[in-house]
Amino acid sequence: MVDELVRNVTDGARVTAAEALDLYRHAPTHVLGRLADAIRARKHPDRVVTYIIDRNVNYTNVCVARCNFCAFYRPVGSAEGYVLGFEEIFRKIDETMAVGGNQLLLQGGHNPDLPIAWYEDLFRAVKGRYPGLRLHALSPPEILHISRTNTVSVREVVARLVAAGLDSIPGGGAEILVDRVRKLLNCYGKASADEWIDVMRHAHRAGLRSTATMMYGTVETDEERVEHMMRVRDLQDDTGGFTAFIAWSFQPEHTERGGAEATGVDYLRTLALARIVLDNVDNLQASWVTQGGKVGQLSLAFGANDMGSVMLEENVVRAAGASYCMDEVEIVASIEDAGFVPKRRNMQYEILGDPVFRARDVPRVLELATARAAGDTSVPEELRQYPARSRAGKQLRLAQ
Amino acid sequence: MTRSSTFDRLLDQVQTGGRLSADDIAQLAATPDILSVGMLADALRRRLHGTSVTYVRVAACGFDASFARAVPPLAREIRITGSPASLTTARAAVESAKAVAGDRPVSGFAWRDVERLSSSSRMPVARVLAELRAAGLEGLAEIPVDAIEDEAAVIDTLRQAGFDRLRLTVSKAPGAERTGAMLRAAALQARFGGIQAVAPLPTAIDALRPATGYDDVKAVAIARLAAPNIPVVQVDWQRYGPKLAQVALTFGADDLDNVAASDEAPDGRRRAPLEELRRNIEAAGFTAAERDGLFNVISR
Ligand code: SF4
Repeated sequence: MVDELVRNVTDGARVTAAEALDLYRHAPTHVLGRLADAIRARKHPDRVVTYIIDRNVNYTNVCVARCNFCAFYRPVGSAEGYVLGFEEIFRKIDETMAVGGNQLLLQGGHNPDLPIAWYEDLFRAVKGRYPGLRLHALSPPEILHISRTNTVSVREVVARLVAAGLDSIPGGGAEILVDRVRKLLNCYGKASADEWIDVMRHAHRAGLRSTATMMYGTVETDEERVEHMMRVRDLQDDTGGFTAFIAWSFQPEHTERGGAEATGVDYLRTLALARIVLDNVDNLQASWVTQGGKVGQLSLAFGANDMGSVMLEENVVRAAGASYCMDEVEIVASIEDAGFVPKRRNMQYEILGDPVFRARDVPRVLELATARAAGDTSVPEELRQYPARSRAGKQLRLAQ
Repeated sequence: MTRSSTFDRLLDQVQTGGRLSADDIAQLAATPDILSVGMLADALRRRLHGTSVTYVRVAACGFDASFARAVPPLAREIRITGSPASLTTARAAVESAKAVAGDRPVSGFAWRDVERLSSSSRMPVARVLAELRAAGLEGLAEIPVDAIEDEAAVIDTLRQAGFDRLRLTVSKAPGAERTGAMLRAAALQARFGGIQAVAPLPTAIDALRPATGYDDVKAVAIARLAAPNIPVVQVDWQRYGPKLAQVALTFGADDLDNVAASDEAPDGRRRAPLEELRRNIEAAGFTAAERDGLFNVISR
């Protein structure tokens, strides 16, 4: 049965959910890898492996969603809660541009005290100051949150944010797109599977491209992992808006859910399966942030064609215990060591060129920055201009 | 190595007990197609060991520390770490370790320590080895096949001194040089016998040029394929970490060395290392078997 499936996939056939499950459960790891690698080679015959230089900025850690797999958020009113000021964000952009970065990945908690005007003003201010910078911002649950707290439709939220400067949407918050799993992870309220898909559909129809992610290794069954991939594939058939798929394993440390992390072999098998199932998604990212540089590099043999982001800052995964760091020099070395050709890309996966550090001196980044220095509880000046909804938020404004 | 006819020929050879030529090994070592190399190594490891993966819980203890405190009851091997300055200190460390170890084997020291002790005590190497052995030492922790000059003489001396079930290590050779080292290890085994295991991943990690994932899994696979006459290919669980060590099992390794013997993590939290280890072995499709320090399986 598996042998026949392997032949079919080799011949370019699309797999059904049942076939995908069979492959995932029964195909030897190297066989899965080879199938995925052959598809990677068909889609990217020039052996180019891309990466992007950007900064993952988490504008606030205050969140009412309270997903039980998250070690990053702080409840409304927490002394450790923060909202970044516009000036702080500008400083981070300056640092990003200094090492050749061209994109800001902006995501955060569901903070009830940030009205849509705050996002619009921020985006306009960023675009006014840095016209060439791409804003890759706000995952579907954040867009839903803005829609709900401002009683504005998703379509209108997307339209207003695009008008303010939004370029593309990160595929975060997908976790596993199955409601049984979402209820157990306490993330059904932030977005059901259908709602996540719907926001993406709106965004794609509005001309935005996005990534799609999967966080596996919590409570989902193998069937549900496959169902997640199928939902992404179906929407991609409809809209073609997904540029890339990114899978990462649940990082249990410091989370309410706790437990053990899925293993490295499981990661490589899941990645390879994603390459096989998602025949309509061009790019597959390696998650060295959760797997470390070594298994991150091995991803390139299991279907990945992109090393993701040369990150300068990371808060979410770090809060849950993983703290790997790779700068451009290391990412490029690991791509070349695996026999591939490294190229810088933008969010649309267009090639921008060769490594920046080969063209000019850039500072090495040997440690990832954090959103805020430890103990910094300052409240940005401009926050005063935006009305708060929560009691704690109102008190904070009064205290300013 | 992407031509499937070549791959099929090699796979056939490996599965039917044939030995790959040095040329084939060199070509495999040069290809970026690590999946093919991994499949060959995996086929060979399955022919030799089926799905079994062994592991050993080791209590590592500095030669100048208290063995009584450092050796938990669950340890199956006591490994002395550090380099004592004199033979008297080294012998005393082995004796104290042995007193705590009971019938569990005591290992320790690197070949360069033995040479150093020989020159500081003005005794021939063979005599140093005999004294350490008489004190209770059953294995040398590091015999780096890439860093000893006359490896045939070294293995011969160790064998003559009564050391068997030797573990060959690699100190820091880059990937390309490790292939030659593994072919030499196979030749040493053919000539002297007594080599039980090879640990192909470096014991010293080069911070300036750290090995990559490709480097590591290829080194493991090449060790398996180049030295099919050495039964065990092992990876150090603590040094290389669960992710890489687990993937290495699918690239030809069959043994996880240096598993912590205590359930207590250094930061005080309980992490149940054994549970994590067994979960990783099983999630890679293998069956776990605990062994003692002399490579005897204790329990499955
Ligand atoms: S994952 Fe996002 S939405 Fe969920 S609690 Fe964390 S910050 Fe909030």
